[in-house]
Amino acid sequence: MRNRRPIVQTASRLGGLLAALLLAASPAAAKDYLLTGAKPDKLVLVDAAARKVERVLTIPGGGVAPSTIVPSPDGRVAYVINNHLGSVSGVDLDSGKQVFRADFSTTGEPGGDLRVRALFGMDVSPDGKELYVFQSPVRLLPGEYRVEDTRIAVYNTADGVGAKPVRLLPAPRRIAVLAFSKDGGTLWALGWDLYGLDPKTGAVKETHKVLNWTRANHSPPDVLDIWPQFEQAATLSTPYSTARTDLAATDPGAARTGLMTLDLATGRMDMRDFEDTSAVIFSSVISPVNRTEAYSVYTQLSKIDTDGGRLVKRVDLPHTYYAINISSDGKEVYVGGTACDIGVYSTDTLDRVGQVEIAGCPDQGMASLRVIRR
Amino acid sequence: MGPRRRDSGGTAPADQWHGVLFGALAGTMLFGGAMTIADDAFAAGGGATDGRALIQERCSSCHQKEADGTLHRIDHVRKTPEGWTMTLFRMRQFHGVALSEEEQRTLVAYFADRQGLAPEETAPYRYVLERRPAVVEEPVTDGDLSVMCARCHSVARVGLQRRDADEWTRLVNFHLGQWPTIEYSAQGRDRKWWEIASTQIPQLLGTKFPFKTDAWTDWQAAPKPDLAGRWAVAGHRPGIGSYGGTATVTKAENGYRVTYELTDAAGKPLSGEGRSVVYTGYEWRGTGTLDGKPVREVFAASRDGSRLDGRWFLTQQDEVGGSLHALRIGGTASAILGTSQSFLKAGTTARITLWGAGLDRGEIAFGPGVSAKILSRSPTAMTVEATAAADAAPGARSLTVGGARTDGFAVYATLDSVRVEPDYAIARIGGNSGPVPPMTAQFEAVGYLNGPDGKPGTEDDVRVGPMPASWNVEPFNEAAAQMQDAKFAGAMGPTGLFMPAGAGPNPQRQFGTNNIGDLKIVGTVQDGSATLTGSGRLISTVQRWNDPPIH
Repeated sequence: MRNRRPIVQTASRLGGLLAALLLAASPAAAKDYLLTGAKPDKLVLVDAAARKVERVLTIPGGGVAPSTIVPSPDGRVAYVINNHLGSVSGVDLDSGKQVFRADFSTTGEPGGDLRVRALFGMDVSPDGKELYVFQSPVRLLPGEYRVEDTRIAVYNTADGVGAKPVRLLPAPRRIAVLAFSKDGGTLWALGWDLYGLDPKTGAVKETHKVLNWTRANHSPPDVLDIWPQFEQAATLSTPYSTARTDLAATDPGAARTGLMTLDLATGRMDMRDFEDTSAVIFSSVISPVNRTEAYSVYTQLSKIDTDGGRLVKRVDLPHTYYAINISSDGKEVYVGGTACDIGVYSTDTLDRVGQVEIAGCPDQGMASLRVIRR
Repeated sequence: MGPRRRDSGGTAPADQWHGVLFGALAGTMLFGGAMTIADDAFAAGGGATDGRALIQERCSSCHQKEADGTLHRIDHVRKTPEGWTMTLFRMRQFHGVALSEEEQRTLVAYFADRQGLAPEETAPYRYVLERRPAVVEEPVTDGDLSVMCARCHSVARVGLQRRDADEWTRLVNFHLGQWPTIEYSAQGRDRKWWEIASTQIPQLLGTKFPFKTDAWTDWQAAPKPDLAGRWAVAGHRPGIGSYGGTATVTKAENGYRVTYELTDAAGKPLSGEGRSVVYTGYEWRGTGTLDGKPVREVFAASRDGSRLDGRWFLTQQDEVGGSLHALRIGGTASAILGTSQSFLKAGTTARITLWGAGLDRGEIAFGPGVSAKILSRSPTAMTVEATAAADAAPGARSLTVGGARTDGFAVYATLDSVRVEPDYAIARIGGNSGPVPPMTAQFEAVGYLNGPDGKPGTEDDVRVGPMPASWNVEPFNEAAAQMQDAKFAGAMGPTGLFMPAGAGPNPQRQFGTNNIGDLKIVGTVQDGSATLTGSGRLISTVQRWNDPPIH
């Protein structure tokens, strides 16, 4: 016994040293990887610079389509909503093993009658220890259903496969994106409005009005963004549309498109129109290098000056893409989701400079497109 | 109108299209094409005893008995046969209820008879049961029903159910419980959908469409008509023309057999036969063939059993079909049900057939300036050679045979205008190796006279009737022109039938998008030396992946 303790301690120290060395070394060696999902049950890791699929991983019990994807802060695990929005799996991106799994519903348990779906919003705490999942439960009673209040379930990531919530936080309905502040002190929830929640209790600490934004002669903005694409600039952004109520519906200036941005470091929120609506936009991303540059996507790729509130440039895409993300050096944007390719565009010219095809052409659907540094 | 949504990725944004019935995509429940209540519904036997026993056996473990002895939910809803079919589909699909096809038929018949809708209750909404294409519904003026319900469903789907507020509340809970993304959808997120749906809406619906009504109480007590007998029949097939003749209905096990002896407007024989089940005492649902093609029938019998009215349609393509009106033969009254054409041009002669009952007695009259020579006549059909004098007064006419009369006839010298009917329709892309066939759209170019106000397009215009026309498509607006919709979306055939292009992404189109389109349908009629055009709007949209009996 005496002899063993030092050995264990040594091993532990060595491990710690090794990890420290790896971590210390990683910024220099690290490069951008894209993480996306593909139907029915795949996670796809892409070497962005090489324009190459690095690895395709299978989500156990994945269902028909992966949904929101959240990488762990160290870039080693991808948490992905799957199983018909009924589960979240944490998949180790190196080993491909499922290292975390939470099945939300209790209907499979004795006496359980809750069917629970995760509706898009999910994020992990900056320390990587807790996973926050927005959920919509319904109670399946004999002969009838009863809709329950929405909530945010908090899981300890260390609880691994079979994890149960350690806390259930009350949450407003219709949340679509969850995003932690950089310091981890606030969990931002985008729904009807942008709510700053206390991650411990779910209490609403502050509210930035979005749909309840009252502007003279403007209809309430319409927002639906289920694509978390805020990691590169630590800025959450989402397109919104609104209508001028003082103009005829046929007036070209009657429909307006704008961008909402939330700085996850400072909590500063801004909503600013940038054009008379001339394109549909699903999602957007902010440049980590020039924070007044935004890029948005659907059937067109747009470059937006968020400060000046103007459209800088717009190009047609070969087809629809739902998701967009950006390289760490701010030089390339990646458009994904929807079909089976990821298009690579120069942020300078908006020229298509490359693409990545996923073998077998599986549909990425509404899966998130995330960037991780490894 | 907002931006044009183009999506080659499979979603179907369609907010500019709601308002056209069948235009909105709703739900994610998968209905098999075979799930129709008239499909081989004839083996339904057993009746009430078997129905109640089946319910006890298969349903009561979840639907428990309440204090008053009723079964939870089941005994507190009234629906059409189609509505009950959808309920049973849901029970089988979502809740694993084991029912054979025969047991399902027994239950549909049991429920429709015991908890159906009275004739007056279905009357405003029969178009949805009859699967009429291109119906634009009247907005609902009560509260928020138009936006809370009818953005996704037809108004008819709501109006063809009867529940009290607590039962509507349970239905609302099912909605969001089963489809939790409703409150995120484009048509559900502009308001606090759940908060409104779970509070105000059930009260409103419970008041407007309550479980207990005088109409239903009366109909339950009323004697139900025996529909066996001989019938005079007439109807119209859009794009093809009118038809008429007779039907013979005989009793058969669990329903009726029917044979049709008909002719089209040109006198060509059309024969048909089929079988039917009559639910709720008046809801005729038939399957059979007409002119060699498989068809289904959705008719309503009148309270006294003297009339049948409704629509038949091709089993595999329900947008193609015809109206049908039938009158029982044998009474003393005479009636004109239809004519082979609804107009006569001044200075011309035409052979016109009238269909109806009691037509073998009395004088025929087209009004001043029109003479008619009888070529043949029987109780159910009369063919005449009608001549309109060159100076016959243009306008609407009453056509009479003895005491029988129809107002749907016109004499004209020159047409004042042409309207494309329907003026707003949808088609759906399909086929192209995909699982869903295309949905066509049928148009007619209908001639009109201006009426007393001398202006076209007003209420007092006189409808002359469908005219031979040539057809073409144009982009409906600038966005459609930019996307070259007229080139890609499909083409008009010579009879006014729009055939949509194939489904799936089209690499030749901008964004590789599919072949949907927003089109102006232009019909051109040559009337003597005059050329008249009319136009309508057609949106050719994406497939309907779920095709329930009631949309």
